[in-house]
Amino acid sequence: MAEQPLDADEAGADLPEGLIPPDAMEEAGDLDTPDAPPVGLPPSAASSPPVMGQGPVLLRDRYLIDSGKPLPDLDCATAKAYAVADRRDLARKLYALICQPGLPTRLDAVRALKDQEIRGVLTVAEWDVITWPPIGQRALIIVYELPLGGRVRDRLARKEVKITEYDMPRRVVEPIIEGLQALIALGGPHRAIRPDNIYFLDEDMTQVVLGPHVVSPPGYDQPLVLETLERAMAMPAGRGMGDSREDIYALGVTMVLLLLGFNPVGEVSDDDLLQNRIEHGSYTAICGTARVPIQMIEPLRGMLNDDPTSRWDFNEITNWLTGQKINSAQKKIINKSKKPLTFRGKKHFSTRSLAWNFARYPTDAIKTINSDDFQDWLRRALGNKEMADTIKGALQAAKFHKDNYQGSDDYVLARISCILDPMAPLRYKGLAFMPDGYGPLLAVEWIRNGNPQSAAEILSHDVPALWFAEQPRMYRELMDLQKDLSSLRGLLGINDPGYGLERALYAANPSVSCQSPYVVRDCVVSAEQLLPALDGAANSVDTSSQPMDRHIAAFIVARFDEDIHPHLKALASNKAETSIIGMLSLLAFLQWKLRTPAVLGLSSWIGGLLGPAINAYHNRHTRQELERDIPRLVRKGSLPELFNLIDDAEKRREDNEGFEASRAEWLAAEEEIRDIEGAGDERLTKAERTGQQAAAMFAIIVALTVVSVLMLVEMS
Amino acid sequence: MANGSDGLNWSKILAGGVVLMVMMVISLPTLIVLFIGMLPTGVAAIIDRSEEKYGTFCVGGLNLCGVFPYITTLWFVDHTVNVATGMITDVFTLLVMYASAAFGWTMFMAIPPVIASFLSVMAQTRVKTLRALQREIMEEWGPGVASTVDDAPLDAPPEAPHS
Repeated sequence: MAEQPLDADEAGADLPEGLIPPDAMEEAGDLDTPDAPPVGLPPSAASSPPVMGQGPVLLRDRYLIDSGKPLPDLDCATAKAYAVADRRDLARKLYALICQPGLPTRLDAVRALKDQEIRGVLTVAEWDVITWPPIGQRALIIVYELPLGGRVRDRLARKEVKITEYDMPRRVVEPIIEGLQALIALGGPHRAIRPDNIYFLDEDMTQVVLGPHVVSPPGYDQPLVLETLERAMAMPAGRGMGDSREDIYALGVTMVLLLLGFNPVGEVSDDDLLQNRIEHGSYTAICGTARVPIQMIEPLRGMLNDDPTSRWDFNEITNWLTGQKINSAQKKIINKSKKPLTFRGKKHFSTRSLAWNFARYPTDAIKTINSDDFQDWLRRALGNKEMADTIKGALQAAKFHKDNYQGSDDYVLARISCILDPMAPLRYKGLAFMPDGYGPLLAVEWIRNGNPQSAAEILSHDVPALWFAEQPRMYRELMDLQKDLSSLRGLLGINDPGYGLERALYAANPSVSCQSPYVVRDCVVSAEQLLPALDGAANSVDTSSQPMDRHIAAFIVARFDEDIHPHLKALASNKAETSIIGMLSLLAFLQWKLRTPAVLGLSSWIGGLLGPAINAYHNRHTRQELERDIPRLVRKGSLPELFNLIDDAEKRREDNEGFEASRAEWLAAEEEIRDIEGAGDERLTKAERTGQQAAAMFAIIVALTVVSVLMLVEMS
Repeated sequence: MANGSDGLNWSKILAGGVVLMVMMVISLPTLIVLFIGMLPTGVAAIIDRSEEKYGTFCVGGLNLCGVFPYITTLWFVDHTVNVATGMITDVFTLLVMYASAAFGWTMFMAIPPVIASFLSVMAQTRVKTLRALQREIMEEWGPGVASTVDDAPLDAPPEAPHS
């Protein structure tokens, strides 16, 4: 293997397609035209020109970040570094990392690490989401303590410092292990240990610290060689959080690279490196031809062990560091077949190798899986009749379900892959991910690549169940993970606002910003930021549409820690007036609960949409009164007051009662009219009878009068 | 009831016969004038098949107006059969008696259509008033007020935030 200098690993060199490399982010400030709008951005929002430029921005009224002063030596693969001045403590040395919008970060870890001074870990001084002029939109910015000694790798490359095998345990491993243990106690592993992410904290280069690990999903920026074998087979976004064992492996590889001063597998392609690691084990594949100092062989064998249960843990490393007795690493015997199975011209001796290659070439894999040779190889060459029977059963089940997804080649291949290599990532339709990496995978597939279809199918077809079913032992973490994925599947199955794939996205990624076209440029990562962002969007979007789309509803449910199901139920109503009131009530509840200041633009936006809600009142005067009052409340920017005006329970009761009384009155009038108009001949007959009676009465009165008068005249 | 099998009211006939006999004894001239003069009323009573006998009353009332002046002449001037006979043989007297009866019949024929027209106009006016009331209600409460099927009330609104 040819030797490759360490500094050949350029930041972002292994970025997946579609990801904006840091250089592009830097160049964004010089572009005349803005970036292409994110997927799903409406024309009105997309057309609004982003404010781009250079200059300092203020974070939390304290930290002055100068976009004109980049610090390329401190760049991460997915985040650019810039100089920071602390206005309250000018002597404090800081720098800021600008996270890429749309890429999931580890915000929970940022929150946990803020102001935590942990030995072996770079201190997070502050963080916030603010507008970053070079890219013309808001971004997550994390302010770190400046490592004055720079990157360990760079210092080593320039021969300004030398770390020998004798220095390594005390100078590098001990502080890092201490830092890793503290991180685990705070909630999660580092998952970004690599030679270019280890720094000297002081100018004297005595203190070694781990660099930032929160700017991208776990393991996302890691070169393949620094990931454990199982997670190396997954896509960068789907490598998952893992645990301390992943960190220990990465630390082991980092130690090798630092000790050697070069990457012994730098010129080996990723596919070949993976194949070598599968066939010979990671330690042999990486260190096989390198001159590893003899006293480091045992620790490195322990840390690079491909069997997670046999890999060294913190206790064993501590024992090694303190000079206590250490257990020799037991090399795991890879279960190889007596005879190879030829697939696409290559001979394979292990099921892991086959499973990995099957996923890479699915069409050929299906042919091979259905062949008798494959069954024979499993039964005779590999001697695993149980696996052969399981696969045979899976194929028969697929034939039984040939009319639905369980009979599809992709599903069958995913299942066979899990059977062949239960510890490997789930592989489905070209995606490969560890179950704990599903969230970032969904986010990257949807936000960065614009195609969540396959990722959604994984949930809807319950593909993770195939992986869990093949696990030899279901320990507590796995059961929790299975429960979480089942919960996501349940959310996906509901089509109402606040659920569906959007909800799964935000539930599985606590740091993903709201992807609604209205606020996507505002990098809204918390419920508190949503209303101000919508308020700002009111000036640039088409206000004839509702300010509540599926993304916003799902984001609120996922990030707002209150029971909002009644609001969601109203929002999901088919009746326009109920849906509008549900939307207003939800946003009003948000403003009231979070004490959000006046949102004039948003209230004006909503005020213009309240027609159906106003028309829900029957009384014309009430409607006119509401229409007269709305502008006044809109000018106050208070959504709760607007809601109280529109949905006053007393007013609605009076309106309903008045409506019922008026309807009864209307019906009574209608009945009388129908009586009058429907009488016809009967009414005519009755009128004639009345006329005859009147004539008779008249005649009798006249007769009596005449008789009386004549009698009086004659008698007088 | 004293109705016989042929529907005749024998009690009334008997009472009428007694009265007729008494009048023949004590007031024959008046009876002669009444019998001849009130013949149209008798005819009207026969042809008026209605239960209320409005036609009979109408003709009879005015017929009596034409007959009664001659009755008073008999009563207060000379109550004799000769005078009564002279009256009923006088064409002018008969003309007065029968013309008044004819007027009564004319009135019975003419008044009902007039009354019917009047009532019809009254009904039209009432309908117009009710229609106007309905329009007013609809303007105030919307067309939904005219529906005969109960509309489902608006879904219960979510908990109202307090401003």
